[in-house]
Amino acid sequence: MKYKVERITEGEDEVILRYCRMTPEVERIWKFLYGGQAKLMGWKEKTHVVLDVDKILYFESVDGKTYAYTEEDVYAMDVTLNKLEEILHAINYFRCSKSMIINIDKVQSLKSLPSNRIDSVMCNGEHIMISRTYASDFRKRLKGGRNDG
Amino acid sequence: MDKHRKLLAVWEHYLTTEIAIEFKSCLYFFAILFFYCVYQILMGSTQASILHMAEMIFLTYVMGYVQVYLMSNFDEGEVLRGREMVCVGLCSLVYAGISVLGGWFGKTVWISVLFFGYVVFLYICVFLVYKAKRKIDDKIMNDNLRAFQARRTEHAKCD
Repeated sequence: MKYKVERITEGEDEVILRYCRMTPEVERIWKFLYGGQAKLMGWKEKTHVVLDVDKILYFESVDGKTYAYTEEDVYAMDVTLNKLEEILHAINYFRCSKSMIINIDKVQSLKSLPSNRIDSVMCNGEHIMISRTYASDFRKRLKGGRNDG
Repeated sequence: MDKHRKLLAVWEHYLTTEIAIEFKSCLYFFAILFFYCVYQILMGSTQASILHMAEMIFLTYVMGYVQVYLMSNFDEGEVLRGREMVCVGLCSLVYAGISVLGGWFGKTVWISVLFFGYVVFLYICVFLVYKAKRKIDDKIMNDNLRAFQARRTEHAKCD
């Protein structure tokens, strides 16, 4: 991996991580940039809460607002689902429908449904539908491919 | 970019549905042709009418579209209950009716009644085949999921 360090005289400090494939090495650096473990900021009853990305089961967009669901709680998010997809796409998250992003690590089992849809059972027993538009990309992702589109 | 992705998804969905209809039409056509050929052989003939075959393939195409777009693709459904059984009955009735109108089995109506039963049996078989296919798909997908999660756990240990 190539490193490029550039000193700037003005503007904000910035780290850009450019990668072709999310190899373990790239992932380590990515996590390091996020302080060891990826974190997100959420809201719970008007209080800012730091969320551990690995603890989130899924994100859902409802009436233009984005929510993060953990096993115990629901948090409102400041970012849009598209932005979250952009950030989390590199790790274990997957856009499973227009309004949802799921954490693949938290999926307990999968069931193939008619019309090429997939029913995913999360570790808390919730059922989340992976729509047919995203189902084939999801299968590819599980096989080890990464949908970079 | 998002619009392009949406268009691509619509195109892919359309193409997948069309391929599914093509596949379904061929499947039912060959099953019906088998019944027709057995009938011809039993009647002492070794010839099949091209006109009858053209009617069969055209009918299976039409029924493929009806099944997919009007009857929620019932033979690929999760269950075969009341609504689905009504669809099976209706479609089988159409096949049997056209077989009488087209004279596929001569003037003998009881063969068309037998043919009706055969098409019902065919639909049930196709339903069971799709169900079995999904069961196998479940196993493969869950194995892939376990492997994906194990790979990630390995990476986490490396950290």
